[in-house]
Amino acid sequence: MAALQSLRLPAKLTDRLSTGWLNFAVLFLILLPLVIGVGLVIKSLPLLEQASTWKMLSSAEFSPQQGHFGFYAFIMGSALVTLLSFVLSAPVCLLAAIYLTEYSPAWLTQTMYFVIDVLAGIPSVVYGVWGVLVVVPLLAGYVAPALGLSTTGYCLLSGGVVLAIMAVPYMLNMLMEVFRSVPVELKEASLSLGATYWETIKWVVLRKGITGIIAALSLGISKALGETIAVLMVVGNVAKVPKSVFDAAYPLPALIANNYGDMMSVPLYDSALMFAALLLFVIILVFNSITNVLLSRVKEV
Amino acid sequence: MRIKSFIAILLLGSFTAGLVSCGGKKTKNVTISGAFALYPLGVKWTEQYKQNAPDLRFDVSAGGAGKGLTDVLAGAADIAMFSRQLTPAEKEKGIWVFAVAKDAVLPTFSLNNPLADLIRKKGLTKDQLKEVYLSGKTNISWGSLLDTAATQPVVVYTRSDAAGAADTWADYFGGKQENIKGTGIYGDPGLAEAVGKDASGVGFNNVAYAYDVTTGKKRPGIDIIPIDQNNNRVIDPEENFYQNADSILQAISDGRYPSPPARDLYFITKGKPTNPDIVAFLKWVLTDGQKYVKEAGYVPLTDAHIKEELAKLQ
Repeated sequence: MAALQSLRLPAKLTDRLSTGWLNFAVLFLILLPLVIGVGLVIKSLPLLEQASTWKMLSSAEFSPQQGHFGFYAFIMGSALVTLLSFVLSAPVCLLAAIYLTEYSPAWLTQTMYFVIDVLAGIPSVVYGVWGVLVVVPLLAGYVAPALGLSTTGYCLLSGGVVLAIMAVPYMLNMLMEVFRSVPVELKEASLSLGATYWETIKWVVLRKGITGIIAALSLGISKALGETIAVLMVVGNVAKVPKSVFDAAYPLPALIANNYGDMMSVPLYDSALMFAALLLFVIILVFNSITNVLLSRVKEV
Repeated sequence: MRIKSFIAILLLGSFTAGLVSCGGKKTKNVTISGAFALYPLGVKWTEQYKQNAPDLRFDVSAGGAGKGLTDVLAGAADIAMFSRQLTPAEKEKGIWVFAVAKDAVLPTFSLNNPLADLIRKKGLTKDQLKEVYLSGKTNISWGSLLDTAATQPVVVYTRSDAAGAADTWADYFGGKQENIKGTGIYGDPGLAEAVGKDASGVGFNNVAYAYDVTTGKKRPGIDIIPIDQNNNRVIDPEENFYQNADSILQAISDGRYPSPPARDLYFITKGKPTNPDIVAFLKWVLTDGQKYVKEAGYVPLTDAHIKEELAKLQ
């Protein structure tokens, strides 16, 4: 044992090694998005040389075998399905989080934490299967006919509903943490000044937690934007801009997942899929920049 | 510290032990990669062939036709399984293509369709099918196709994932998968399921999926649209071969069912295969291996076709 003890490194060297290692890890993480971005640009170059970028972004005609590369329908598909899931899930999460942190009995909150963990742990393909078995027939058989419309059920709304449910655990969990972190003294001060409980929530809890709320909601949006398999199983995958929520849509991640394996040996097709990935990357980059700016503005207030 | 050094010694020990054991015997690896459509048959073949060549180790993986071809070109796989038509860009890569089995894509409709009996009796002509699948019109009524007053519109379902089946079905009308206009559903089972549920729905499936190959019966929920090949608006006895898996496989084999939508399935190698193990395996697939084709739900090649393919190996 004594021999092994002497193998121990001198403290200074350990210190230096760990600092170096930490720096390297941070640098690596910072460079990672850059490397991914550059890689995608290089892979989409063959397509970018062939067609004008503006035309690809504004045209909705996508038939790569005939040389038409229009991504507008996919961009709109991604944007709409994300927006829909946000509209469906954000209000529910916000209100549920307020109730669960401010009003509900402790056992209910504890149960919800358990439910959230379970929901977050379910693989996305299971959500997709559930969408096909439940949401799609429900929309096709009951909801649309009740409104006097006809749909296959594989539509924007199915995608939105499935995504909304998938985003709930992430948003709800974060929102609950945000509300719980509001100091109880602030609430006591508000209540002692004569504010009602609801007024206190409105003017103190929500106001104090606004940065956290924005962060939580944007997490939900990012999740919806990038989700692939669950959406592609229910959304209908028609490369057309949907006119109603009962029309099929085709989001960008679904385009890549549907075609990548089979088409990667066709150079321009491969390049088109990489360009789709690049678009998704840029959208997420822009979206996160906007959220960051928003957050810094809000903090100054 | 005790525990740490103990773990260190253990790791070091197992590492050296691993090195020693790896250097021992030599097994030869053959990697096969590619289309999902050929995967079950690929597995079946390699399992059977192992009895002939116990020193070979096969690694069969499915990731899509394009993935297989890319792997072969990059040297990551020895053989690619391929299920769709090669594009011109792919043909230029210096590859050797061997047809190894046949398959067919069949148009399907829902058993819930109120006109099911009439569809079975009259079928649809090639032109009508083209109109339904490729035109993108959403107002084609079943009545107009079958000369009745029924107004329910035909709803087209297609594969969302790039698939040899969709490509081959479109090829029947001179098109590509992207020309089929319809709601895109992921995978063969999903498509059959969606068509079965929608009383007005039409879609298409591989033979191995449209029929249950073990029982020979049609999948529950869907039926096959017979193709009226002589345009006389009735399915004649010689056009009627959709009763069970055996009858349709026979019709594909003797050419009564048109090609496309029947298609060849391919093994592809980079350049002419020279590795004796791979040449022997390909030869076996084209000879003795053909007897496993049918039980997997595919159609064996004709003798003339096999000769042609074997000649490429000489």
